[in-house]
Amino acid sequence: MGFIIKIAYKNLSRHKLRTFVSITAIAFSVMIVVFARGLINGMIDTLSVDHIQYNSGHIKIIDQEYLQQERLLPLNYPVDGFNGEGPRAMTADLKEIKDVEMVISRLKFGAMAGTENELITMCGWGVEPEQELIFTDIEDFLVEGRMAQTGRMEVVMGTALLKKLDRKVGEKITIVYNTAFNSLKGSTFEIVGRLESGLKMLNEVVFYLPLDQAQRLLEMDDQVTELLLVTSDKKIIHRVLPEVKKLLADKGATDRYLALGYKETSDLIPLMDIMKIIYNQIYIFLVLLSCIVVINTMIMIVKERTKEIGMMTAMGLESKEILQLFVIEGAIMGVLGSLLGAVSGSVLTSYLAEVGLDYTSAMSGMSADIIFDAIVYPVSSIGNTIFAFMLGMFIVTIACLIPARRAASLEPTEAMRA
Amino acid sequence: MALLEMQGITKIYNQGKIEVPALRGVDLTVEAGEFTTIFGPSGSGKTTLLNMIGCLDKPTAGRITFDGQELRELDKKALAMVRRYHVGFVFQSYNLIPVLTAYENVEFAIRLVNKYHKKEIRDRVLQILDAVGLAGLAGRKPNELSGGQKQRVAIARALVKEPKLILADEPSANLDSKTSEEVLQVMLKMNQELGTTFIFSTHDPRVMEYARRLIEIRDGLISKDQRRESEDVSD
Repeated sequence: MGFIIKIAYKNLSRHKLRTFVSITAIAFSVMIVVFARGLINGMIDTLSVDHIQYNSGHIKIIDQEYLQQERLLPLNYPVDGFNGEGPRAMTADLKEIKDVEMVISRLKFGAMAGTENELITMCGWGVEPEQELIFTDIEDFLVEGRMAQTGRMEVVMGTALLKKLDRKVGEKITIVYNTAFNSLKGSTFEIVGRLESGLKMLNEVVFYLPLDQAQRLLEMDDQVTELLLVTSDKKIIHRVLPEVKKLLADKGATDRYLALGYKETSDLIPLMDIMKIIYNQIYIFLVLLSCIVVINTMIMIVKERTKEIGMMTAMGLESKEILQLFVIEGAIMGVLGSLLGAVSGSVLTSYLAEVGLDYTSAMSGMSADIIFDAIVYPVSSIGNTIFAFMLGMFIVTIACLIPARRAASLEPTEAMRA
Repeated sequence: MALLEMQGITKIYNQGKIEVPALRGVDLTVEAGEFTTIFGPSGSGKTTLLNMIGCLDKPTAGRITFDGQELRELDKKALAMVRRYHVGFVFQSYNLIPVLTAYENVEFAIRLVNKYHKKEIRDRVLQILDAVGLAGLAGRKPNELSGGQKQRVAIARALVKEPKLILADEPSANLDSKTSEEVLQVMLKMNQELGTTFIFSTHDPRVMEYARRLIEIRDGLISKDQRRESEDVSD
């Protein structure tokens, strides 16, 4: 066996260019697998993180009716405690649940502001600034000024929204809104910060203001529209969610409130999870495509070496040893190509994981309701690299069985006559 | 006991619906240590007969006994083992593995028989290369050797495992007279020193001069079987 491996290895140097082309084909397909998996994982990660931070937390508690009309941002289905006593006691109870680290309160409402020529529709997010700074990446997005502070009539807006409103940080803005009692009001705020992020919603639609100010102006004291629960890890939600639901049941609030895991509030994340499975199957076909080059090379090799195969059979090699010789030869190409592809794919993914891929122009037509960062950072991981390497190596080796079986089945007398 | 006994060997090839007889009931006995040449015109059945003797092909009818073993009873794997341990082949076109050196080509054959230790393998390979006159060329690849040197490597490869029988199909066909002479001398020397049985298939008169037994085959039948005295043989 050792000598067969030696011959198989040395055989690769017979036609260096042909071997190089075969190895390159494998390397290229494996590199694409590493990169594509990194990109998909990066998209899912980015999508999940953004969705968790700006929409759902790990678990979201909302009024059942609110869920049906969430896009309209209604104020008449608030979260105001288990029995209308306000969300504070409810928050305290939720924090008692193991692994719940934070409970974020948000009050979202529709609003408008005018320029000289038009009315701009917006979405106000009443938040507790300290909590938001801890839980979200908002601090990183603040390119000018600071976050709005509790107790002050201050707002923070995205660059695109400020441009639409023709306003700058430091200036005042009057915002018009409907209160919970459906009366139209207007209030003037100071713009204290400017956000710049890849999230279209934060850039163009949302403005932040302190929760206490939002509650006062909207006449919703001790009321919010949603409570977001933050756990230590999104992977443990399956354990925490039943506890939250149990608490709601114990407090007799199941008829009113819903507790939803972050995947339940996103259409895109479950879709991406399905895409991930589909893509895993596509990767197999991708590597199989490169195998066509290898199989073609091996068929040519078998044809060229027919006489040599006859000689080996005459020397007493069994069919299985001839099979081994060609499979090993293909497997060495598979290992080298896969290794090269896995390493180069990993380097490419690591580089792009640092600089990111900017899809801003591609996503310009996308609805701002979809929280999706236009800059995607692929995820480079050892597991992904090993997966692609193993996939390439196994598929190429198995594919080599086709020409190898052909070589092994040659009759020695016919082979020597070739 | 004879090394090889063939009785009523018939081989018919089917070319579509046509049956082409290559051998028509050949009887042949070869004793151990013989230096035999099978000759005859092209298409007479020389190579077919050699393939039968070398366990590369099975007869349509007839019985072959090699070293006391009935070949008809053996399956594909067992026939491969007979070839591996007891039969050596020398081909017209050498059939060396081009990526291996002369040493490695010979080493390949001895490693297959799996009965020698590492050091023993090295010693035997170098010894046999020395015996065929390639002592200083062990590290060369086939493309760095002349035709005669390649054929010597092929002989060394066939001899190194100490087979009972070596079959040589037109061993001098690609060699000039001088080289052919040298190669035949090497084989004769091995026959005399090691007692290895040689059977040649040829129509080269130079090879026939060396043979101690001449078997002529015509139309799939042995037409002449002549044993020669030592004084009639070149050496």
